[in-house]
Amino acid sequence: MLLLAPLVTDAQDRAVIYVVNYPLQYFAGRIAGDLVDVVFPVPPGEDPAFWRPDAEAVSGYQQADLILLNGAGYAKWVNRVSLPRSKTVDTSRAFRDRFIATEGGASHSHGREGEHAHAGTAFTTWLDFNQAAAQANAVRDALSRLLPRHATTFDKNFAALEQDLADLDARMKDAGEGGRNAPLLASHPVYQYLARRYSLNLKEVLWEPDVMPPESEWQMLKSLLDTHPAKGLIWEGEPSAYAVNRLRQLGIQSTVFDPCGNRPETGDFLSVMENNVKNIKPLLR
Amino acid sequence: MIDSLYIAWKYLGFNRLRTATIVACVTLIAVLPLTLEVLLAESQRQLLSRAASTPLVLGAKGSALDLVMNGLYFDDEVPELISMAAVDAVDDTGLALPIPLYVRFKARRFPIVGTTLDYFDFRALQVSEGRQVAMLGDTVIGADVAESLGIGVGDSLLSSPETVFDLAGVYPLKMRVVGVLGRSHSPDDRGVFVDVKTAWVVQGLVHGHEDLAQTTDASMVIERAGDKVVASAKLVEFSEITEENIDSFHFHGSPEAYPLSAVIVVPDDTKSGTILRGRYLEGESAAQLVVPKTVIDGLLANIFRIKNVLDAVIFVVAIATMLALFLVFALSLRLRQREIRTVFRIGGSRSTIVRLLLAEILIIALASAALCLVALVVVQNYSNDLVRALFIG
Repeated sequence: MLLLAPLVTDAQDRAVIYVVNYPLQYFAGRIAGDLVDVVFPVPPGEDPAFWRPDAEAVSGYQQADLILLNGAGYAKWVNRVSLPRSKTVDTSRAFRDRFIATEGGASHSHGREGEHAHAGTAFTTWLDFNQAAAQANAVRDALSRLLPRHATTFDKNFAALEQDLADLDARMKDAGEGGRNAPLLASHPVYQYLARRYSLNLKEVLWEPDVMPPESEWQMLKSLLDTHPAKGLIWEGEPSAYAVNRLRQLGIQSTVFDPCGNRPETGDFLSVMENNVKNIKPLLR
Repeated sequence: MIDSLYIAWKYLGFNRLRTATIVACVTLIAVLPLTLEVLLAESQRQLLSRAASTPLVLGAKGSALDLVMNGLYFDDEVPELISMAAVDAVDDTGLALPIPLYVRFKARRFPIVGTTLDYFDFRALQVSEGRQVAMLGDTVIGADVAESLGIGVGDSLLSSPETVFDLAGVYPLKMRVVGVLGRSHSPDDRGVFVDVKTAWVVQGLVHGHEDLAQTTDASMVIERAGDKVVASAKLVEFSEITEENIDSFHFHGSPEAYPLSAVIVVPDDTKSGTILRGRYLEGESAAQLVVPKTVIDGLLANIFRIKNVLDAVIFVVAIATMLALFLVFALSLRLRQREIRTVFRIGGSRSTIVRLLLAEILIIALASAALCLVALVVVQNYSNDLVRALFIG
């Protein structure tokens, strides 16, 4: 764990917390309330995992009192900028031994380094609500080190958040158990932790909700259905009516399970996740 | 006495060459030990102040002196390397802040110091011009580097190959100078500071190149077999990090395995430091956690042992010089028999001769003392830079 000296001593000086995704903004906001300013500089509509900050945004992160990272390789830009280690907290470090490795494209060799592949790590860690609670716990700990005078408030607020996440976890577990390992499809490889925690028999395609899949993708889907006869497909965002209808003709129902990496247009993290659980339940019956 | 001094002054002025030689001899014999004393005192001050302000240094087991000299003074001798996992291990204890250092490469004879932003806070280094490092490939240079190379914000600096024979090695990295540090009168003035990840780019561990999966140039690929692609020599790793290619820079393997030369460990308090030291003393740890002040005290003890020998040598040389000077005066009395007879003839006594000789000695001593003082003032003024150039590097 990092050592964060209580840098903010004056009640008038509000600590500035920079985060790399919306779930962390939500957790920090729920735990600290009005005691801190939580800054999430990624523009709406952009995927924070693939966003690239400009020099001004990097400077903002560097000058923050606390920087909350998601970890698990989320936000690749973090590896290409200089951030002060003393102010940086990797919120998923506590469960880093349970990260899921993803297949990393083609292996290749060049120069004297020999063969290597750019394998990665699944990074939507918060879709396992138990892990989300662990991340919120890391946020609470970091805030308590930063503003020790408010530790009791943070503990109280964290307890409420932890309870909300535990409720979500229980409901999603029920839904997962109800599915009895029924085959399911996902439009993108972002649901690895969700599938693992809630025992979903999930296989992914690489479809964007707002892009009509080409005919070759439909053929690949049909081949996939031979070995994985799924009756439902979960999308990151609202899919096109054409895709929904065509899937229905194949006997596949569509629904949205928003990972909520960026701030939602309406509601908040909790309401989006509640909707997600509600949406996925019928597909698992 | 004034008349004696006047005559002595005239005599010494007439025999300029002989006087200058004697003054030079006396000055040198006095300046040598005093200069040595000043420089050693300054080197002791510099070494100790840097060491005392650095609580602990973590590194691979081996020479503690190499570790401290590299970590604190950016010495050329690179200690055995440790990995980033050592930094995480310190972090996990919750007892101290670890500041990684990778001091292995050079840019035009100045050391490239790969570290994190915490280093600048720890050493209280301020950027006097430009901004702090922000992106991969950015560098902030010390005041001596800027002055000596005549470069500043907006210029670029190439890393130097580790050896001239490393023909198959990585290409030098062109780094952007984004800031110049204010003078700190410490080894930091000679540092080319980069993010530790940029130091790994210099080594070629982190690199960027064209995406082999996307390339349309068939000559870039020697072989494609399933998921394996073998690139030809045509695939060149980028030697400069730009807005356009920064996204192609990637790590191979876990960053935890990436090398470091040392880690500055800043414990929360004395108790935390003691607990940490205990943990590295026991067990089969491949790392050592040293107290720089203890290491430097040991080094200084050796230096002062050598100084004692030098003092003895200088003392013997001083006696020999004085005897030689005495001989010069004794012989000069024989050569000056005619002058002495003339002094007697015009009414001078034996004591007049003694007074004249004493006046000559006094003038020579005063001239030597004045020169000695000037030399010491000069050495004292430049002792900081002299010590860094001569002893600390």
